[in-house]
Amino acid sequence: MKIVVAYKWAPNPQDASVGADGVVDWSRAKSGISEYDPVAIELARRLADATGGEVIGLTAGPKSVDASMARKAALSRGFDRAVIVADDALEGAGTTELAAVLAAAVRHIGEVNLVITGDSSVDVGARMVPVVLAGQLGWPAVGEVTAVSVQAGLLRVERDIAGGTQVLEISGPAVLAASTNAAVPRIPGMRDILAAGKKPVETLEVTALDVPAGGTTVSVTHTSRPDLKARKQQMIDTADPAAAAAELVDALRSAGVL
Amino acid sequence: MNFELSEEQLLIQAMVREFAAAEVAPIAAEIDRNHRFPEELIPKLAEVGLLGVPYPEEFGGAGADFLSFTIVVEELARVCASTSVIVAAHAGLGAWPIFEFGTPAQKEKYLRALTSGEKLGAFALTEPGAGTDAGSGKTTAVLDGDEYVLNGSKIFITNGGYADIYVVTAMTDPDRGTRGISAFIVERDTPGFTVGEKEHKMGIKASSTTPLYFSDCRIPKDALLGKEGRGYFIAMETFDGGRVGVAAQAVGIAQGALDASIAYAKERVQFGRPIATLQAIQWMIADMATEIDAARLLVYRAAWMKDNGLKYGQEASMAKLFAAETATRVAGKAIQIHGGYGFTESYPVERAYRDAKITEIYEGTSEVQRMTIAGNALRKHKATR
Repeated sequence: MKIVVAYKWAPNPQDASVGADGVVDWSRAKSGISEYDPVAIELARRLADATGGEVIGLTAGPKSVDASMARKAALSRGFDRAVIVADDALEGAGTTELAAVLAAAVRHIGEVNLVITGDSSVDVGARMVPVVLAGQLGWPAVGEVTAVSVQAGLLRVERDIAGGTQVLEISGPAVLAASTNAAVPRIPGMRDILAAGKKPVETLEVTALDVPAGGTTVSVTHTSRPDLKARKQQMIDTADPAAAAAELVDALRSAGVL
Repeated sequence: MNFELSEEQLLIQAMVREFAAAEVAPIAAEIDRNHRFPEELIPKLAEVGLLGVPYPEEFGGAGADFLSFTIVVEELARVCASTSVIVAAHAGLGAWPIFEFGTPAQKEKYLRALTSGEKLGAFALTEPGAGTDAGSGKTTAVLDGDEYVLNGSKIFITNGGYADIYVVTAMTDPDRGTRGISAFIVERDTPGFTVGEKEHKMGIKASSTTPLYFSDCRIPKDALLGKEGRGYFIAMETFDGGRVGVAAQAVGIAQGALDASIAYAKERVQFGRPIATLQAIQWMIADMATEIDAARLLVYRAAWMKDNGLKYGQEASMAKLFAAETATRVAGKAIQIHGGYGFTESYPVERAYRDAKITEIYEGTSEVQRMTIAGNALRKHKATR
């Protein structure tokens, strides 16, 4: 079984700062494996170990995603091998563009049974890549996945829904986005870390892939801080609870909240 | 000269930090308060390969360098000095002499079990009457046919009672002074070998420190480690590495105390502002940060020399001396920065203060380190004239 985990080598917003004009300064941010990706890797690893499959790490971005440290950090987390699309043409690439490249890479890998991604990326958090990637591949996309197994040749997927769990059976390949609490990722051991540099990595440029041209582009036009709203500072006397409740409801109605 | 850690070392550092936060930090205060040896941590440490870091893969180790081992010890100590010394005493003092001086048969029998964490190790040199004066130990080992018979006692043995394999020094020839001491591998449950009650200590309370008693304890002849009369030498060589390990532990304790102090100083408001804005606090933090960094560099330098096959006894002594005294100083300042709260169990700095002191004592007191450093410095000066 071939399981691809699409991971992101992303700057951690912890060290980013926002200027008064709303522009984000990423210069001090350190890059690493996106926060929720290890959960996806854990689900993939468990499934691969249960079925005798392999876990292939896949990422796309500027050349920095193929730096030695980025490779080792990713490979130490549980991949058997990695495919990295490293191309400065992808600098600043939007979600739809990245998803198209990832889809082309999945086709390039060939005979992939399953793609798992993290819930969302730590830097953008749009939750769009799994869905657009699935659309590009013509596969179903399922989010909030908490468990995945293979039973009688079918993918059995559990997902969180409001008030419960939904269980799906999927016959063919699919893209699953792991819920943030689907699993506690294992901590890489000494052996994983020291062996990481020796695992096979295939590096590609975008031109080596068959990426369809055109398609919808999504671009961020601007970011801004929220306006500071003036506080109403309205006090309601609660001596008479019933009257106070009525006054509160009126106030909320007139503020357009109710 | 490259002052950067390698990519692998950086990843190891990140991994141990993650492990320490997830598995050690949640229990650190409790195991200290209850003097409880954290048995549940041993298989978890083993699973991520932290019990055999500097040993080759052929012996079940991680195959990493000694510098990586010091990083592991430091990162664990940041969060829990007890856990750090359990690992350092096991891997550095218990396993190392067998790795370095053992016969192929001894390595085959014991090393894999130690590096995998299946068995814990310990080193027993100190006796009630022989601390700094390590050569004056009275425990004897008399050859009787195919066995040595051990009689005597040891004191202050780290991992005592939980270790399965003990490297024990004993007098095989009382007339030859330190040249009459030999080292042996003794397994727990050997008839005649018992472990005494745990000491109630000021710090590193979760680490088990016990006496050992040998009463006509018979061990096979091939339990001798190295040759007869080499025991003192084996101990001193083992302690060179052990010293760097304790230095790393001291750096970790100090760093943890500094991290806590910075976090506290940013939150604590007095006179309408966080105390971190006050120069008195800032200068304390500056001194703490500088001394910790200097101590860490001494540790790295000694570890680098060991990894590169250079004689490193002087540098190990310097690292241990400086790092230990730094840890005590920094921990004291940490409590000062925390004020009254620092004196309570609600904050981790009082534990750092209690834990730091032992680093100035075990594996060679600061006085011994000064003797060593001065001796080497004086000898060296003579040689260059």
